[in-house]
Amino acid sequence: MISDAARRRYQAIVPPHVDDAYALARWLCGDPADAEDIVQDAALRALTALETANVEQPRAWFLRVVRNTALTWMAKNRSKLLAFAGGADDLAEIESVDLTAEGESPEALLIAAEDGERVRRALAALPPPLREALVLREINGLAYREIAEATETPIGTVMSRLARGRAALAKMLEDKQ
Amino acid sequence: MSDSDPRQDRLLRLNAALDDELDAAHRVELERELERDPQLRASLRRLSAVREAVRRHGAPEAAPASLHNAVAAIGRPKAQRWRVPLPLAAAIAAGIVIGAAAQALLFPSGAGDPVAVAVVADFARGELSNQPFDVASSDRHTVKPWLVAHAPLGVEVVDLADKGYPLAGGRIAVVGVTPVPTLVYQRREHWIALTELPLSLGGGALAAREGTLDGFRLVRWADRERGYVAVSDIDAVELSAFVAAFRAAAGTGGGEGR
Repeated sequence: MISDAARRRYQAIVPPHVDDAYALARWLCGDPADAEDIVQDAALRALTALETANVEQPRAWFLRVVRNTALTWMAKNRSKLLAFAGGADDLAEIESVDLTAEGESPEALLIAAEDGERVRRALAALPPPLREALVLREINGLAYREIAEATETPIGTVMSRLARGRAALAKMLEDKQ
Repeated sequence: MSDSDPRQDRLLRLNAALDDELDAAHRVELERELERDPQLRASLRRLSAVREAVRRHGAPEAAPASLHNAVAAIGRPKAQRWRVPLPLAAAIAAGIVIGAAAQALLFPSGAGDPVAVAVVADFARGELSNQPFDVASSDRHTVKPWLVAHAPLGVEVVDLADKGYPLAGGRIAVVGVTPVPTLVYQRREHWIALTELPLSLGGGALAAREGTLDGFRLVRWADRERGYVAVSDIDAVELSAFVAAFRAAAGTGGGEGR
């Protein structure tokens, strides 16, 4: 039994952000069909949660539900493939991304940036927490405080991940393949 | 993270400026640094190029229409989701199931108990139509007069919100040809229907008796004035807890006959 109030809140919060949710789920799980399943699951979770949830940033709130649904889904379906924020290995991998490192040539970056396939491959190769922050920022267009809410991470960490993600991506695109 | 490294610090601020997240004072300071420092200007061009590349090439196509439709449908009430011809089919199926289940009734008063069959059918109908009450109100001073006006029987309406069972409304069920008042309480996402019966239908036993019919749970008891049947799809322990709370609040012979 879902109350009318929850349904009204759902209609205001969830359907307007389906494209954003789908984009995030695709970048988290890497597969279009899986992304559809994840978004539907997340919508069901959101409906139940809206009986009681206090939502201040609707888009960030729903994307957080999508993210958590995706993490549960991936833990169940391919636990070895993706580790997310929190694990010690993961942290080491993020820390190893040097913020100041540069690749072979700035010109190579401009050329590689034209190659969509190459950009997507590089983005997919980033450590998941860095990729997630970049997708939320550049593709979903979230502000820092919204990314902090969506990923349940302090703003300082969001800033650091974005900076490291961009640095790593730039280096990958600058290096010759 | 070596946040004290000035070069890292400047890069973090450069990223924040790019994202329009830097306050005015820091922005002015950074602009001055950019004027002085060609290396910082190179970094800015580099970060801008990456950002444009991700924005241009990283956005997947829009979500398919089927996903938009599915997500919109999740928010609609069930009755709306099952437009045609499912409601009819479901109602017919439920009627058959309930009719058949009366044979296998576990209610201690025996198979074919007309009260149990009627209140469960009524409850199932409410669930299927997602309209479990005729008058929707959490105020017992609204529900009681409505029920009294529609059923020729005094009715005990108690507020159990503080026990975790808010009153959701009331409706009239029909047992045989007798209209009987029914209170609908809410427990999380579930309904609990409490039907009050005249002694001619529900009298006799004072002790609470439990049973199931077609997957729904029932608890039945009586006091000196009337009988009661509670029906729900919550589990037996929870339904017993509800009945105990109701009996305590209404003073319907909670200590008697048990």
